Amino acid sequence: MMDRYTKLQMAGIYFAVTIFLIFILLPFFEMFMASLRPLEHLFRSPYQFWSDDFSFQAYSDMWETVPLLGRYIWNSVYIATMVTLLTMIFIIPAAYAYARLDFPFKNASLAIFLGVNMFTGAVLLIPLYRVLRTMGLLNTYWAMIVPGVAFLIPTGIWLLRSYLEKIPRELEEAAYVDGASRMYTLRRVVLPLAVPGLIVVGVAVFIGAYAQQFLFAITFNQQRELQPLPAGLFEFIGYQDVTWNQMMAAALTGILPVMVIFLFLQKFLVAGLTAGAVKE
Amino acid sequence: MATLDLLSINKSFGAAKVLHDISLAIEDKEFVVFVGPSGCGKSTLLRIIAGLEETTSGQIMIDGKDVSDAHPVDRGISMVFQSYALYPHLTVYENIAFPLRVQKMPQPEMDAAVNRAAEILQLTDKLQLKPGQLSGGQRQRVAIGRSIVRNPKVFLFDEPLSNLDAALRGDMRVELSQLHRSLEATMVYVTHDQVEAMTMADRIVVLNAGRVEQFGTPMELYHHPKTKFVASFIGQPNMNLLPAKVLGSDAKSLKVELDGGHQMVVPVEAGLVSKGDNVEVGIRPEHVSLGDSGLSVTVNVLERLGGVSITYGAVGNGTRFCASLPGDAAIREGTPVTLAVNPDDCHVFDANGDVLSRQAAPELAG
Repeated sequence: MMDRYTKLQMAGIYFAVTIFLIFILLPFFEMFMASLRPLEHLFRSPYQFWSDDFSFQAYSDMWETVPLLGRYIWNSVYIATMVTLLTMIFIIPAAYAYARLDFPFKNASLAIFLGVNMFTGAVLLIPLYRVLRTMGLLNTYWAMIVPGVAFLIPTGIWLLRSYLEKIPRELEEAAYVDGASRMYTLRRVVLPLAVPGLIVVGVAVFIGAYAQQFLFAITFNQQRELQPLPAGLFEFIGYQDVTWNQMMAAALTGILPVMVIFLFLQKFLVAGLTAGAVKE
Repeated sequence: MATLDLLSINKSFGAAKVLHDISLAIEDKEFVVFVGPSGCGKSTLLRIIAGLEETTSGQIMIDGKDVSDAHPVDRGISMVFQSYALYPHLTVYENIAFPLRVQKMPQPEMDAAVNRAAEILQLTDKLQLKPGQLSGGQRQRVAIGRSIVRNPKVFLFDEPLSNLDAALRGDMRVELSQLHRSLEATMVYVTHDQVEAMTMADRIVVLNAGRVEQFGTPMELYHHPKTKFVASFIGQPNMNLLPAKVLGSDAKSLKVELDGGHQMVVPVEAGLVSKGDNVEVGIRPEHVSLGDSGLSVTVNVLERLGGVSITYGAVGNGTRFCASLPGDAAIREGTPVTLAVNPDDCHVFDANGDVLSRQAAPELAG
């Protein structure tokens, strides 16, 4: 075995992993704890990590405090899904072209795509607002979907291109010699083999779409019914007080379906990466 | 049913010129092998015939029709790739049927065509498997199946056996030769292995540095190599090349003194070579025998293969010399032996590496 570690090294690795996981997961744990306790307990001094009267009360109350909560969660998933689908439609042919074809300014345009990534949406909010207003898209789903797609295409192209480059060129040459067109080869040969890569890119785009929708929602959309969850959570901030426990419960409920999907996809991903080796 | 003619093919990649003015006429139903060391341009030439690469200049004619700008399918060629290039996500059936699906052939016809190909290649019970479940030889057959299913005029093979182990390679050589005979098709085969070239080819094209060194039948190349390169490339083990000095010449022979002092009269046309010139004498390892007079060779390594014993040694000033002797020849490593050489079997190359025409070599039948 090449990768055998000493006990000390193993201890070191596990220690590092633990630190990392605590850093990532502690906020989720605290969210969960906060969602379980009555609101007044959250402001007790000294702060008590453990209390006696934990309950799931907030998980039922939240639907009454914010009646549109279900709608917000649905909107979030809907917007992220639409963004992912549209983005993939643009990414796949573009990434294939960058991986296989030769055209003028190929490297330059690829660099520009990467450059675009350096601007966050925030920098471009005002020009984007004007564009969307001119196009009459403000206060529609499209106001959140179109900018989302635009900002995710560059990363997606970069990710998928490097994956497509790994597919043996001889497979495409064989298809070409047998008379298949580019599009036929893409559909019948390249994409089926790129499924693991497509999932990786799809997941990355979905996460990106889910994370960035807040900014676009609060700037480009005033319609309550269309708001995604991150924007909808603001309704837990009342005139008098903030129902933190319900807000945490709502946030957790909102990400739950996404997490379930990801747990399922993760298995798929590992299976996809190992199956169908091209040749040894 | 096709002839294949290459007319003055040139190919450059940027400033690097990889093919120089290649012209070949390949006849109908011929099995032609392109052979040469890595980087000699043989694969590039095959890809040009396939239509995967464009020529810088020159024409490709199939059946007398200029196909230089035609799509591979319109040229009527099919190709088997070195890595097989099977689609790992498709079954054997779908892999073989791929060219027919592209043509949108109706299902019953396609079934018949795929089954016929599978029968020829003994893949009938493997049709529903994926390439990953097959052995190397079976994958190779699937790749061949995909190329025969649409009845091309010319088959192209790009080092198809190089990924197989030695035993399987021998079997596949025989299968390919049989396939060639049963399909009666024109085949062009690229390899760097001269054994494959010698065993399968009707005619061999020896390529070196983007140029055709010689185009001829295997035995023609063996007995009448035109250049030192061809002579040393064809034949196993390689031909020995001994530096020699010309002592004298007449119309039909050349008297030379080999490195090490052995003198002999070789029956070749002297041409422009005259007394005092440096030449090289080529002696095939299988054309020497143990004798009382001849070359004195120190044996360094002895390989006993059973039927034959191969010795590696040195003559004269350390020129390497290999000899193929009977299996139980009484020789030992580290001792000198005397090897008899028949001058009729020798080749002589001038300073440019060009051969001097042999007078005593076997006549070639057809």
